[in-house]
Amino acid sequence: MAENRVLIIGGGSGGIIAANLLAEEGKKVTLVTDSPVHFFQPANLFIAFRGEPPEKYSRSVNSLLHQNVELILEKVTKLDLENRFAITEKNRKLDYDVVVVAAGASLDYDSLPGMRESLNRFGDYYSTPQSAVRLWETIRGLKKGKFVIGVPDLIIKCPPAPHKGTFLSASFFKKEKRDVSVELLYPSPHAYTEAELARTIEKKMEEFGNISVRTSFLIDSIDVERKVVVGMNGEEVAYDALAVIPFHKGPKIEINPADARDEDGFIKVDKNKLSISSYDDAYAIGDCTNAPTSKTGVAAHLGAFTVWRRIRGENAVYTGRTNCPMITDNEAIFVISDYENKPVGQRFSKLKRLMEDLFVSMYFPSLMHPRKFEPIFNAYFEATEPSVLGERGW
Amino acid sequence: MGEKKLVDARGMACPGPIAKLTRAYREAKNGDIIEVLATDQGFVADVKSWTESTGNKLVELKQDSSGVIRAVIEVTAKK
Ligand SMILES: Cc1cc2nc3c(=O)[nH]c(=O)nc-3n(C[C@H](O)[C@H](O)[C@H](O)COP(=O)(O)OP(=O)(O)OC[C@H]3O[C@@H](n4cnc5c(N)ncnc54)[C@H](O)[C@@H]3O)c2cc1C
Repeated sequence: MAENRVLIIGGGSGGIIAANLLAEEGKKVTLVTDSPVHFFQPANLFIAFRGEPPEKYSRSVNSLLHQNVELILEKVTKLDLENRFAITEKNRKLDYDVVVVAAGASLDYDSLPGMRESLNRFGDYYSTPQSAVRLWETIRGLKKGKFVIGVPDLIIKCPPAPHKGTFLSASFFKKEKRDVSVELLYPSPHAYTEAELARTIEKKMEEFGNISVRTSFLIDSIDVERKVVVGMNGEEVAYDALAVIPFHKGPKIEINPADARDEDGFIKVDKNKLSISSYDDAYAIGDCTNAPTSKTGVAAHLGAFTVWRRIRGENAVYTGRTNCPMITDNEAIFVISDYENKPVGQRFSKLKRLMEDLFVSMYFPSLMHPRKFEPIFNAYFEATEPSVLGERGW
Repeated sequence: MGEKKLVDARGMACPGPIAKLTRAYREAKNGDIIEVLATDQGFVADVKSWTESTGNKLVELKQDSSGVIRAVIEVTAKK
């Protein structure tokens, strides 16, 4: 068969699932990725706000892959869609019949003045587990004052993650009985991008007592000397410690043709088929695409299944389904939407928090054996269909 | 005369057109015009409260028969 050599770029959630699905049914799969370790990114929050060790959430990519997947630990620098090959930093040429790009988003700390200094000083929970450890040291050391979480831009991984950080840090300060308040600086007019969910979240923040949120706040720069965040209209917010969510861009891979990427470097896909531009032998999944949905693990996971099916010749589509958890210490809601349906209204509940803990414990096994876990996820997705939950909420 | 920028956020539901509007605003200067096209129904109320609370001017807000929302914003509040 012509499409036997499948090249997968990126060893994150999407890339590993796609590789395992395809290898299980006998395709010749090569996965090329720039890091020998796969880290479960949502755990940055558990490291930064609970002091958990990064090792608990890290595995070697090799240990997660089906034995027949060939693993190459190199960075891809160039992808030629016209001539069907990729080039690595070591000048290795990788020919393919089908390519799946799953290289995630790249983070940018340099387009906002003061952001990199702030990262170096306080840490953050987006860039690396080490930086999350740094933030834990910051949080642990903060005896009184204000911890600010700044969101300069909304096209970010896991849109509820700024709120998760707000809730988890506020819980920590409360439990420790410290006189520390948490302030979220958010660019949209409500505490979340969708108004109904925002009301639920704002209420929960009020209940906490030590959380405040400043909406329609657009961060212009950080004055590290004076310890203030400066807004675009000139307003200032003082902080004692600060975590700023970085800007997200597409992966740093040169692509031929250049117009396969948008102005931020995200790869242009058909939002349902996930094929790149007009190519039928090239796909992109997860955070590296410009699909108009949230950048979340669920999208990468479902994208991998969609592409696997399409490569098998089925007419599968991705519906834009998201499922982003927003957790407090003991409760959760899920931001559930798809291309056709806005996020479903939610109530915080302890049961949802338990479900989130179950998903976390299933994470690594579900990467290794995606087909085995498919019925469980499908049952959950069916039961929580946005069109079904609709106005009723959940 | 300011510049004019078109932001096409049609088909964008989550994180929504406000995400693209704030990106355009970041690049803009006072006097510029940002025109946003969106299909997310929440955008009508959002863009009103966003322009109000950021102190910018909502010059026009319309919805055509196919449901496409068109908002024209004049940037006036940048420092
Ligand atoms: C703080 C935080 C909390 C989150 N919480 C949740 C959550 O609760 N639920 C959820 O579903 N999602 C959550 N996410 C988002 C989730 O982690 C991502 O959406 C998911 O990892 C995307 O998978 P991906 O395969 O597209 O990209 P990634 O998992 O980022 O993988 C990309 C891979 O490509 C590799 N790579 C990059 N460039 C190259 C190159 N040039 N050559 C070779 N390899 C390359 C990288 O090393 C990486 O291994 C969270 C993210 C963060 C940061």
